[in-house]
Amino acid sequence: MKVLVLNCGSSSVKFQLVETDETSAAAGRDRALAKGIVENIGGLAILRYEAEGRKPLKETGEILEHKIAVERILGLLTREDVGVLRDRREIDAVGHRMVHGGERFKTSALIDDDVLSGIEDCIDLAPLHNPPNIKGYRAARELLAVPHVAVFDTSFHQTMPAEAYLYGVPYVLYQRHGVRRYGFHGTSHRFVSRRMAEILGRVGDPTLRVITCHLGNGCSITAIRGGRSVDTSMGLTPLEGLLMGTRAGDIDAGLVLHVMTVEELGISEANALLNKHSGLLGISGVSNDMRALLQAESEGNERARAALDVFCYRLKKYIAAYVGVLGGVDAVVFTGGIGENAAPIRARSVAGLEAIGLRLDPERNAAARAVEAEVSADGSPGKIWVIPTNEELLIARDTMRIVSGLPPE
Amino acid sequence: MAIRTVGIVGGGTMGQGIAVACAGAGLDVLLVEKTPELGQEALAGVAEALDRDIAKWRRTESEKRAILARIGLAEGLEALEPTDLVVEAVSEDLELKISLFQQLDRLVSPDDVLATNTSTLSVTEIAARTSRPERVIGLHFLQPVPKVPLVEVVRGLKTGDDTYRRALEFVRVLGKTGIEVFEYPGYVTTRVILPFLNEAMYVVMEGVASAEAVDTSMRLGYGLPVGPLQLADRMGLDEVMRWMQYLFDELGDVKYRPCPLLRKMIRAGHLGVKTGRGFFEYDAAGHPKPVSGEGKV
Repeated sequence: MKVLVLNCGSSSVKFQLVETDETSAAAGRDRALAKGIVENIGGLAILRYEAEGRKPLKETGEILEHKIAVERILGLLTREDVGVLRDRREIDAVGHRMVHGGERFKTSALIDDDVLSGIEDCIDLAPLHNPPNIKGYRAARELLAVPHVAVFDTSFHQTMPAEAYLYGVPYVLYQRHGVRRYGFHGTSHRFVSRRMAEILGRVGDPTLRVITCHLGNGCSITAIRGGRSVDTSMGLTPLEGLLMGTRAGDIDAGLVLHVMTVEELGISEANALLNKHSGLLGISGVSNDMRALLQAESEGNERARAALDVFCYRLKKYIAAYVGVLGGVDAVVFTGGIGENAAPIRARSVAGLEAIGLRLDPERNAAARAVEAEVSADGSPGKIWVIPTNEELLIARDTMRIVSGLPPE
Repeated sequence: MAIRTVGIVGGGTMGQGIAVACAGAGLDVLLVEKTPELGQEALAGVAEALDRDIAKWRRTESEKRAILARIGLAEGLEALEPTDLVVEAVSEDLELKISLFQQLDRLVSPDDVLATNTSTLSVTEIAARTSRPERVIGLHFLQPVPKVPLVEVVRGLKTGDDTYRRALEFVRVLGKTGIEVFEYPGYVTTRVILPFLNEAMYVVMEGVASAEAVDTSMRLGYGLPVGPLQLADRMGLDEVMRWMQYLFDELGDVKYRPCPLLRKMIRAGHLGVKTGRGFFEYDAAGHPKPVSGEGKV
């Protein structure tokens, strides 16, 4: 089955065409035939495209709306010199990344009018993300008369118990406004934890305890028991939890009120302060890029060091807390741009956790870059792995299962 | 038709602010100034304003770069031919504005909307001197433009419904709320706020309460972010005076009579924040100096 995966932002469309079916997915042999991104929709857009065995291609041109972007993507997929399809009718289904599914969507869903209105109901919870996701769906629906499936960032975490998702604020806020922990990056946490279970030969084992660390632009960590999320660090919004590139992560809520008062900030300024000027960038004043920070630290930049120390310390605290939540740990997985590539960050984040069963092998760790690899020492009770994430592949697999009438994984 | 490229005539404080609001919303801007030097000055002003925003965490360095990249300087009104909407933001001089609109009328597509940022002059009168009065409208941005989320969308007598809808959509794209106003002196915002400021001055003049007490009462009593007298200081007392006089002359109602205390302060050179002293005193950064006595926060 050929599934087109779309991830639509406010001015971008990321896409992958994935060939998958039940057998190849189970064997991990399903793969992307082509992928790319259209950026700066609404103006002079840039389109990048690469297909198996073809020369990568980059085009610029005016693309005013998502529908035209999708049309251009379909054009490339079927173009004689670079395409991988003879006809767009070869596409069997479309999988859409949707950021927020609220409490309603606990699994991926075939989009019909009812599901669409359910997604629209979640706009209040993700005002920046859900609208472009929906826009992308509407555009694709007009162009491709095939089943469309929504795969949510939040649904994997819907298995969290109330003790993990409730905040200590008046319960009426939960009832009235859905104020609770939802968690994000669910597709990534699910993908790598599933892969971890496969590697350990424990798929379906209800006692398997895995902690997954998704460290990219945004960072989050999830405690997973038997393949089900039991706690995660991001909350009502993607601002809570770990330190991130430009996001603060956990802070005293009173800090926000205090800073707004003494700096005379409005809501939108406080929002920008916490989301765009904080995190690694905010502490270091150098950059939000991990490579630049490691470089600056090696040159003696004290604030770069402080930023990295906070990053690793916070992560370590969460890992240890989740070991407590799970009552031990069988494996810790690092993924995302930082998790897959930054060996020193991995090392510093688990240093000192030997007492709770996590012992790194420095050489294996230093060698692991953007590949699937074990980085724990032989005999470490808890394994430590690097597993590259692949959210698009999971979206394609979910789409394939729903369209084929298979039960959710 | 979606608005993608906006022409702005005049690179003063207003023109700069409107340019930032447009570019910040992802629109391309062509800014026209009288000379290349003035154009460069306008761009420098925009860059400084963006740096102040960054210092206050309102924007990031990359947002600044993106905004500056979207603002182009144009030489002469001819360059505005490809724009979808033109906003005129030159000084409040009727003959100057009419001459500009007559040139624009000849240069840009007859379908394009021409907007004036006037706050005192008549949209109807400017429109009447063009061949497309139904496509002329007023857009009253408030200072500082990037921060104030309101625009008065001012309909002249002949402004068409389609023009109004396009102007309102433009305001929405800027992330601001537009309100429909039918041309009348002071529109809504100026007309309602000025008598409030003026009355606060009368209260001080009549010895009912101190300036600090008046501002504190109105701030705390009605949950306003700033009191009327400090607001007047920020606007500039000479500006407030000019406005009151304008409303008084246009509408002839004594309720718009400028407070004699206001007149006296202007004669003393106490113009508000910009001179360091108005109803309150201000430091070089424009922050109010502490006031002694009760009511101090």
